[in-house]
Amino acid sequence: MARVLIADDASFMRQMIREIIEPEGHEVVGEATNGIEAVDLYKELQPDLVTMDIVMPKRSGIDAVKAILANHPTACVVMCSALGQETLVMEALQAGARDFIVKPFKPDNVIATLKKTLEKAD
Amino acid sequence: MGLDMAKYRRIFLEESTEHLGEISRALLDLEKEMASVAAIDTIFRMAHSIKSMAASLGYDPVAELSHRLEDRMEGVRAAGRVRDVEELGLLFRGLEALEAMVAAVSEDQPLAPVDPGLIEELGRPAGAGAERDTAMAVGGEPKKVRTQSPSPR
Repeated sequence: MARVLIADDASFMRQMIREIIEPEGHEVVGEATNGIEAVDLYKELQPDLVTMDIVMPKRSGIDAVKAILANHPTACVVMCSALGQETLVMEALQAGARDFIVKPFKPDNVIATLKKTLEKAD
Repeated sequence: MGLDMAKYRRIFLEESTEHLGEISRALLDLEKEMASVAAIDTIFRMAHSIKSMAASLGYDPVAELSHRLEDRMEGVRAAGRVRDVEELGLLFRGLEALEAMVAAVSEDQPLAPVDPGLIEELGRPAGAGAERDTAMAVGGEPKKVRTQSPSPR
């Protein structure tokens, strides 16, 4: 099971991800509410996986992914995207994000995506 | 897996109310400075956030309207500014419609479909001229407004 950092400016989404993944045995080790916090918390907590929202204040999720991967090339980041963000998802994947999950979240899909991403990272 | 949707409804109401307040303040900022990058970015992010929450809870009219507002703000961001008072009025109307919808959710009222005229206006490309029958003037009453279509080149 993995230590997970959740990065999303919406408390609603952070709680929803937490509620989906904790019963699977994952531990939420931190929550970031903007891209700057995400980068700082990654460095501090060294989680196994990050769920990263794309649209966040101060620093976007895309910029945060690039910053994390610049210093931690093996970091596992899964993007959280919404309808109409296909171009941004592609940019994040090209920057090194491993996969993406789409809002509104389907619990089974979130669990399966994280499982697949963590298995590939092993 | 079953999520406690009553809990998420409460969070939606709290966060949406905050976001609508931020959109309102940002629109007032845009009234003073139509190229305010911070205000444009705030409205974009708040609309995006309301859209995601509403979609998660199946509040489709809220998700649709906030999606249209988000798309409109993407166009505004690309243009670098709100075009004119008329476009600002349209954004205020979008805010008012969202506020009414969130109030309906709060009161457990059924959500009416979004006004197709508002959806159509929000989806119209920035700068496209058209006759608008009931555009709202900022700070005033609804009135008849006619805009010029761009001349063909």
